[in-house]
Amino acid sequence: MASYATSAGIGVGLVTLLALYVGMTYCLTGFGFRFDVGWFLEAVSPYQWACTGIAMAIALSVCGAAWGIFTTGTSILGGGVKVPRIKTKNLISIILCEAVAIYGIIIAIVLGNLLEDFDFYNASWEVTAANYYGGYSMFGAGLTVGFSNLFCGIAVGIVGSGAALADAQNPTLFVKILIAEIFASAVGLFGVIVAIILVTKVKMGKSASI
Amino acid sequence: MSNLGSREQTVWAPFFGSMGAAIGISLSALGAAYGTAKSSTGICTAAVLRPDLMMKSVIPVVMAGILAIYGAVVSILIIQNLSYELTAFQGFVQFGAGIAVGFAGLAAGFAIGIAGDSGVRGSAQQPRLYVGMILIMIFSEVLGLYGLIVGLLLATKATA
Repeated sequence: MASYATSAGIGVGLVTLLALYVGMTYCLTGFGFRFDVGWFLEAVSPYQWACTGIAMAIALSVCGAAWGIFTTGTSILGGGVKVPRIKTKNLISIILCEAVAIYGIIIAIVLGNLLEDFDFYNASWEVTAANYYGGYSMFGAGLTVGFSNLFCGIAVGIVGSGAALADAQNPTLFVKILIAEIFASAVGLFGVIVAIILVTKVKMGKSASI
Repeated sequence: MSNLGSREQTVWAPFFGSMGAAIGISLSALGAAYGTAKSSTGICTAAVLRPDLMMKSVIPVVMAGILAIYGAVVSILIIQNLSYELTAFQGFVQFGAGIAVGFAGLAAGFAIGIAGDSGVRGSAQQPRLYVGMILIMIFSEVLGLYGLIVGLLLATKATA
């Protein structure tokens, strides 16, 4: 009779227990130094960080846009069975969700243009640090844009769904609920702004130094 | 004097700064999105009943949007102090600032969404509930403000 929540809880508990066991083993046998976050951050190539950021930017943005589109779309199509007039006006909600995906691809292209190679083995500390900084920043920017657009897309979808059904009841309501939808899409815009500000300082390549 | 290590410039310190900025805006955006979406379902339902109260019912959506602004402000402040010559101390402080504003915005957004949903539905049926809903919205918003205050305090410590 265990529900999904119970099995999820048991799973989380088992994973935590395993992590604690492994961690305590390392600590108590004198090998605690092996858990080295700094080593991991330096060992992973800056291009891995940067490209993961680019991938997250486009992948999560498109997921958010898709989620929003199907949420709104089902409501429009369902409500449109009885009230077919709603279908043209409510395409605005679908377009607002699509804008979220466009934010993602713009940031992905901007980040992709910043990628540049450098000579890892002969570079000075300045150049190495600047390239690592570029990698970390692009990872952060990609996550920023990806997650904000994901959440924004879902929110715009839910609001658009409500707007479609309210429009079906009373045509004057659509424009008022559009105000709420615009507030929802502003959330994704903030993510894009923060990501752009983050990558303006990035300079990768052989001659990198800010 | 012992060198505690956190005042030395490390290559990996900007990772924590950039993660602080990312978490600050992303989690605040989640809170804002949740608040907007949850209260909008209530607004759409209430508007069918009382279309004239529609503009007054948009308050929860506006207050949820402000949470995203809090997150953006702290993230931008973190980014101003980011560079490739960053000490570990600066990186960690920026990470803390981002987590502070992010989780606070997330919590405030959840509160605004759930309370705002019930609030707009109730005040469409009973107009005297409106002032109560506003008071509850203000208390929920203040949670995000606390996160902003702590985030600002931390982020301004990360100056070079």
